[in-house]
Formats: sequence, C-alpha cells, structure tokens
Amino acid sequence: MQGICGILSSQGEDETALFVSATFAQVSLTPPLVVINPNRTYSIEPAISRTGRFAINVMPASSQEQIIRLMAARRRQPNRADVVGLVVSESEHRIPFVAGALQTLFCEVESSIDAGDRKLYVARILETRTAARVELPLLFSAVSGGPRRYVALQRGVRTVLARSGALDILKKSYHRLRPPAPPDIALNTYEEAGATESEIATIESYGLLDQSRRLSPPPKARPVTRSLGVCVVGTGWGSFHCNLLRQVNPAAKLFVCGRNPDKTARLAKSVKAEDFFLGLDQAVADPRVQALIVALPHDLHRTAAEQIAAAGKHALIEKPIATSLADADAMILAAKRAGTILMIAEDMHFRPAVTEAVKRIFAGEIGEPLYFFGHAAGVRRPRGWAAQAERMGGGVLMDMGVHYVRGLRLLMGEPESVLASRAMQIDTKISGEDNVQLIFSNSVGWEGHLILSWASARGHLPDIVIAGDKGTIHLWPGTSYIDLYPQDPPLIPRLLSMVRPYWLQEKLMRPQFGRVRISLPEKEASGYQAEVREFLAAVAEDREPASPAEDARRDLEIVLSAYEALANQRRVQVVQVKS
Amino acid sequence: MTSPYLNSALIDSIVGLVLVKAGDRSNVMTVSFFSEVAHHPTSLWVSIAKSTYTHSLIEETGKFSLVVLNQTQGKLALACGTSSGRDRDKCAGLDLYPGPEGHLFLNGALASTACSVRQAVPVGDHTLFIADILHADMESRKSHLRQLLLSDLQKI
Repeated sequence: MQGICGILSSQGEDETALFVSATFAQVSLTPPLVVINPNRTYSIEPAISRTGRFAINVMPASSQEQIIRLMAARRRQPNRADVVGLVVSESEHRIPFVAGALQTLFCEVESSIDAGDRKLYVARILETRTAARVELPLLFSAVSGGPRRYVALQRGVRTVLARSGALDILKKSYHRLRPPAPPDIALNTYEEAGATESEIATIESYGLLDQSRRLSPPPKARPVTRSLGVCVVGTGWGSFHCNLLRQVNPAAKLFVCGRNPDKTARLAKSVKAEDFFLGLDQAVADPRVQALIVALPHDLHRTAAEQIAAAGKHALIEKPIATSLADADAMILAAKRAGTILMIAEDMHFRPAVTEAVKRIFAGEIGEPLYFFGHAAGVRRPRGWAAQAERMGGGVLMDMGVHYVRGLRLLMGEPESVLASRAMQIDTKISGEDNVQLIFSNSVGWEGHLILSWASARGHLPDIVIAGDKGTIHLWPGTSYIDLYPQDPPLIPRLLSMVRPYWLQEKLMRPQFGRVRISLPEKEASGYQAEVREFLAAVAEDREPASPAEDARRDLEIVLSAYEALANQRRVQVVQVKS
Repeated sequence: MTSPYLNSALIDSIVGLVLVKAGDRSNVMTVSFFSEVAHHPTSLWVSIAKSTYTHSLIEETGKFSLVVLNQTQGKLALACGTSSGRDRDKCAGLDLYPGPEGHLFLNGALASTACSVRQAVPVGDHTLFIADILHADMESRKSHLRQLLLSDLQKI
C-alpha cells in the first residue's frame, strides 16, 4: 500500500519533528485536500496536533541513502534532522520544510479522524512548491528494509526469480518445511507493526522524545599555533600534564610550579621547562604565564582556582572540580568575575570512543539505549593525600566516579535518581571507600549501572557497555576502536547458529564473529590530548571551552548524591538540571 | 479520453483499481486517492468522487477490493479510469478471480485486498471510505516490478 516516500515536517514544542511517510495522498479535487496518517508513537503526531500545520516533502529518488538513515535513526532521538544531515528551514507559513524535496506541500489541518494506532489528518493546501529539476520520486520500496549492499545484483536476482516462477517454488518449498500461520492479515500486521491503546499509553509514558541528554561530545578544537606560556602546577600527576602539553603544542612555553625545590627543579629539567616556580604566588604573578594547568590534591582546587582567576589567568584544573558544591560555585564565580577561563580536565568528555558511540546511538544502531554498564575496576592502593577522605573528597567514588558519571551523561543522559551499595573494604589504609556500585535511573526509560573499585581485579572487560534493543556497544579504555554487536548478527554467526550438533557449533562459534569493530580515526584514544588542545584553543581564541566548569560541577553534584544514597541506604533524587 | 485526476492531482501517487460487486452488478474504477490508515486495526482509506457509479455501489454493499497495479499496467488503468461503469461493463475484459466473501481480485497486479467499510467521511467532492482489510493476495511473479504511478500515466 505504501508508495511515494516523503518526509512529514511540523514544528514540535522543542524542535522540528520529522517523520518518513509513504502514506500521504490527495483526497479530493475540489477543494484540493490531502490526508496523512502520522504514527502516534512518534513526535510528529503531537507536533501536527499542536500547530495544526505541517509540510509534505516529496523526496527525490536520489535521496535514498539519507531517507534510509532517517528511518534508521533512533525513534526518540531529538534533532533527527541534524543527525542525518537534512537541512530544515521555516516557511512564511511558520511550517518547517526540508531542503532538496521534489515537491513541498504546506498544509493546514481541517479535521482529524481517530483511526486506531494512527490518526488521520485531512488538510487543505496552503501552498505548493515544486523543484525545477525532473527526477523520479523516491518509492518506499527503495528504502524499506534498511541499508542494502549490491542493490543492482539483488534487484537482478529478484527479477529472475520472480519472472521464472522460482520465487513461487521457493516459497512453496519453504512453507512445506515450515507451514505458515493461517492467513490473518489483521493479526499479522498488528504483531509486526501495530499497537493497541494500552501499548501506545505505555510507549508514551516514557516520552516520545528522549530529552534526558544535555551534553554533547565536543567538536574538534583548532590547533593552536600561538606560543602560549603555560605553567603546570603540581609535580606528581603534573609531570603527565607536562608531557601532554609538549605533545599537543610543542611551541608552548612550559613552566613548572611545585612546593619542593628539588622535585620541582628535577621535573623542570626533565621536561625542558623554560623556568620553574616555587609556590603558586610566583607562578600567577609571572607575566610570561598566561594559563595554568593545576594537578593538586582535590581540597586545594578552590584556593588555586581563585588565586589564578584573581591574577587574570586561565586555568585547567584536574577533576573533580572540588570536594564540595560550595567550593565549585566559588571557583566558577571567581572565573566569571575575572573574565577568565576555568575548565576542568575531564578526559572522558574528549574520548574519541565516546564520541563515536554517541554518533552510533543517535543513528539508531543499537535501537533504544536501555542499559549503561560502567566498570572502572583494577587493584590500586592510593597513598598520601589520596588516601585521606577529607582531602580526596571521599574514595574511589569521588576519584573515578566523576569520569563515569560524565560518560553516563554523554552516552545516556542526565540521571534522575541514584542508589548505592558496596562490598567489603579491602584497603584498610585509606579512609575513603575502595569500591562502590551505583544504579542510576531516568523516567525516560534507561538505567545506568556503575561499578567503581580499587579493590577488585579488572580482567579483560570493556569499561563501558551500552545495551539497546537492537544491539550493544562495547568501549574499551585507551583503545582506538569500539565494538558493535548488532542484534541481527552478520552472516557467519547466523550460518553457524544452524550447525548441529551443538557441541560442534560451540567449537566453531567465536564471540568476535558477531562483532563489528569500528576503528576510530583519532590516533590518541584516551582523550587527554584533545582535552588539553581544547583548553589551549579556548585560551587562544578567547572563548568558552567546549566543556565549561558547570559540566564538572554537575558531575560532582551527582557523585555527592551517590554518597548520600550510600550513607543513607536509600534512593536519592538527583537535583534536576535545567535545559 | 482524459481524467481530471491526471491533470489536477497535486501529488504523484501510486495507482490502483477499486473493484465492487453488488449482486449481479460489478464495476471497476481507477484510483490514486488511497492509502493506509493504521496497523491496528489493519485498515486503509480510499477516496471516491461522490458522482461515480463506484461510489453508489460501495455505499450499497459496504465492501470493495483495492488492487495495487504494477508499472506495466498503465493502459489498463487508463481504460478503467476514463469511462463510467454505468455506460459499459468495465470488468468484462479483466482477468479477475474470486477473492474471499465475494470480493473480486485481479490476476497480474502487485496486490489485491478485500476491504469492508467501517466509516464514510465526506471530504469536499469525494467521500473518504475507511475500511478494514480482511484479506490480501500478493503476486510473487510481479514482485520485482514497482508500483504504477500517476506520472507514468501522463507519459502514455
């Protein structure tokens, strides 16, 4: 029944709603009226119902790939036009329309008819625009079934099979082996694509759009060619930052700042620093220094940030932003008042694998993302200030939690509540917790499970898994690839699943047969370099960084909620973030 | 011979036939104003000009068949769409076969569906018949062909 393929567009409450439709048609000549039947479980239907206006964008045959991508994109994905690269503009009728359509009909609803899981809208035409070029319209049969390879070959084989009658014979033979259910078109169509009122109510209860995600992976920063004076503060983890800076911007003038004269001089010499300072006072006062990278104990972040801002210098401060929200707010305020940049070093935000995974989720490759599993484990024995809960702000939950909370926020969205519990303490030499597990929830319908541990061995496990109804993505720390396990497995495992006896199938089958490994173009997999590059670019271009300090404050807020949940052994609501 | 649908249609669309049998009378009419309604209940709509013979037969029986034509059936579509069944028996020359419950199906089409009218809604000069789909036959031997379009008819 489906014929010409087009896109219905209408203005939703928060964004333009788009829906691929092949079931629009004219319904009368005088007056000229059209009928559409948008799916009630997509955002297009409420958009049309709200505004009473929509456009039918009849797409050309050449737009096949883009339409397939739009159809494959996640149903509840906001801003679907951006995800598939469609250009949407608004007409003088205040109706959004898609660029590149063969024909666009701007319509106003005259009446609607309740008709089951779709709603019929009868509409009059306000205006019709037709493209000058002559091209066949796209047919639904060319886009149904998703992306295809060897299209011409498939079409040829199908033609031969159909014309020769072999298709009939094949069907009959198959039905002899597996007799089909008695023809019941109503039941079959319902089971394949239909929905009852109660099913629609269930779908709607989670929201037709998943608006829980507030963060986006950053765009690539432009390389900085200017020679900036950058001082790394702290001689422990600071040495790592010195090397990073050298890799990212060899032209930067590097300075080192520490408390211990011998250690600081040694580090300055080993990283070929221009000079070194003993104490932050000296570093911020030096006119050769424009920006500082701070790798100090967590409880010193606030003082350092305020001092740097007061001197009119820019700061990249190691995560977590602080150990309390009051400190974080004071730091943000100080930078705002001084008009300086305050960025928190959260490498998870810049990890190429996370960026790629977000892209794949948006594209609908795992369907609805339902579960996030984060597993940051590995035996570690923190000592010195890191072993003191007051200075660290806690234990592993504070130290590692902010990273994985950021991962959760990028990949799934903002959590609404958190539960926490923990296993026994192994490392009795630290006053903070050495392991914890958290369960995050959001009413849009996803759950996040996080295990953070310095006490348990990790093994060869992905550190993040996102599981959806159409597939699973595995992320590995420090790798330049991600693994996608589609729900519909590739040909080899599909064939092997038919092998009998089972012991032989087990011998032949390998887990990697069901995997699609996606290589990332970036050489640096950790995100550390990209994070420093972004900071330097923000300083050089005098702009806000891609991930401002407020993002890190929110990470801290969520982690502190998890601490509250752990202390009180109850689910804690995480304060809602404003859009 | 011509049809107002060829010149006045706003959107290119697929072309089909509506077949109606009322007692010993039957008729066929070419249509391009039809589409799917819903997946649950499985239903379609077809819009028929109020002045047509087909309209009166559907009103009388409450049932019809909708046949989706393939790209090679343009002449058949024109033949069934440019004259009235009141004047001649347009079904006479067609390769029809009986579908379920007295519905007429067409050999060589992409699909034939047996429909039962659930609701009739007046829209301008037409009536929108919303109908439950009772049964459908697909033609495997024609499955490699695409649907017939209004724009195909304009080229004949």
